[in-house]
Amino acid sequence: MKNDKLVTIPIGPEHPALDEPASFTVTLDGEKVVDVVVGVGYNHRGLEKACESRTYAQDLFLVERVCGICSHTHSTAYCQGLEELAGVEISRRAKYIRVLVSELERLHSHLLWLGVAGHEIGFDTLFMCTWRDRERVLDVLAEAGGNRVNYGVNAIGGVRRDIDPELETRIRSMTDVLEKEIDYYLELAMTDSVLAARFKGVGVLPRADAEKFGVVGPVARADGIADDVRVVEPYAAYDELKVNQVTDDHCDVFGRTIVRIKELQESLRVIRACLDGMPEGPLKVNVPRRIPKGEVISRTEAPRGENIQYIRSNGTDIPDRIRVRAPSEANWHGMKRMMQGAYLADVPIIVAANDPCYSCTDRAVVVRGAGGRRAMDWEELRAYGVEWYRGRGADISRVEEKLK
Amino acid sequence: MERENEVVAAFVAAFPWLDGRIRSPRKKRIFTDPVTREEFNRLVPFALGQGFRRVTHVVGTDDGDSLGFLYVFSDGGGVLLALHESAPKSNPVIDSLTPRFPGLEWHERELVDLYGADVRGLPPGPRYPLPDGWPAGNYPMRKEWDPKRFNRKTMTYEAEPPAAAAGSEAKHEER
Repeated sequence: MKNDKLVTIPIGPEHPALDEPASFTVTLDGEKVVDVVVGVGYNHRGLEKACESRTYAQDLFLVERVCGICSHTHSTAYCQGLEELAGVEISRRAKYIRVLVSELERLHSHLLWLGVAGHEIGFDTLFMCTWRDRERVLDVLAEAGGNRVNYGVNAIGGVRRDIDPELETRIRSMTDVLEKEIDYYLELAMTDSVLAARFKGVGVLPRADAEKFGVVGPVARADGIADDVRVVEPYAAYDELKVNQVTDDHCDVFGRTIVRIKELQESLRVIRACLDGMPEGPLKVNVPRRIPKGEVISRTEAPRGENIQYIRSNGTDIPDRIRVRAPSEANWHGMKRMMQGAYLADVPIIVAANDPCYSCTDRAVVVRGAGGRRAMDWEELRAYGVEWYRGRGADISRVEEKLK
Repeated sequence: MERENEVVAAFVAAFPWLDGRIRSPRKKRIFTDPVTREEFNRLVPFALGQGFRRVTHVVGTDDGDSLGFLYVFSDGGGVLLALHESAPKSNPVIDSLTPRFPGLEWHERELVDLYGADVRGLPPGPRYPLPDGWPAGNYPMRKEWDPKRFNRKTMTYEAEPPAAAAGSEAKHEER
């Protein structure tokens, strides 16, 4: 039956409130959301098909580029899947380094999310502070892997990069600084009345619905579902570096915020434990180029939740099938339920509170540089960035001085 | 391996025809060999009864003359059970599990778009993940579908790879 009071408006796929392409066809009764149809797929580039025509070694680079934020978790799932198929056991040191980078990745991903959440509710000071802190993590990751997002640390059979004493000192120093900041963010989330007003009771997903839709990660854990793969099925060195699983029972945006901030604290603890107990050993062991015929399901805990890869080998050096099930792919249907009955103004924060990764969902990102190619070192790149912004009226170098 | 072995034994006891077709290659993993649509529909309720109450994802596979659809169930304790449903490529009909697991909607839409599966009972909605203008009858994840023969400008599948694209691919292969 047609209801004349209802209005349907399209949001996206390109929209200021969304950083990546997705369409939300929202049906409203006044200011309240009655129904929503979510459309994604704009980032689909056929990564899985591409993997079937390339060797396992080449596919490592493709798989790492499923996502620009949690690249390491994808390459970890891929590598450990192949190592299982090949019957290879990697060194403990390599496992520790995988965990270390994985937790650094969780730090920068959750800090990024906290900033985005602040931005979506107009709390841009929080956005500035958390992204400043995220830069500290990215600096360390860039030093560890040579890149800010696709670090290239993993190799089939171990890792490509070591953690030397100088880098260890930098990481410890970074964790000391971040610990104070993260403690402050938790206090802020627990006490700030503005955050409470915008987060509490918003985007509610009852536990029964969370189970029905199969949501994962911090979204599930904010509903009291203890599904952390690091605990449920410890991989890499998580059997030795025990993780204290964080759960909450608010079932809303507030709960998701608390879970992520507490996971930041837990990541700092695991990073320190990892550095304290880093064993000696080779970085990499040999893995045959041709992987024996078989199939494997490999799981990791990405910052956004359970990441799964199915790999089927056929005895050659090219996979028969690779299927990536990133956590964002599991969380979209729950988002529809969260929006029903919410105010339109809360839609951006509800979407953001899921920390959805559109590229993960569609499994590929293509990045093309505009114009000619040019290689820059770190300092040159930083100077270029400062100059670029200065040309547009923002002098970042002065901001840096003030922060010192 | 206790839980895995118990589950395998329970399946074999309930469905003797599964003997030798269900295995646990390592801790926390159980796989079945390909089973028919009818067999699969009998296995699903039994899996639920064994505590596998969540489906993490669905994997489509091209198995030659048939298509495979692996529904991966989770028991919440870390054990994953992959039930491998199979259907002939000429008539790839399967039944949707979205009435029981609504979160599988996009997974099954992907089977429709990428493999050409006929998923009965899938609710209406936008296609995923291919664009609206994608030509009918083109299922990119089937092995015989050659990306080099797909003309992106005209959105048609050519008898031979377009000359320019072929040259570009050749250069890529050389690198």
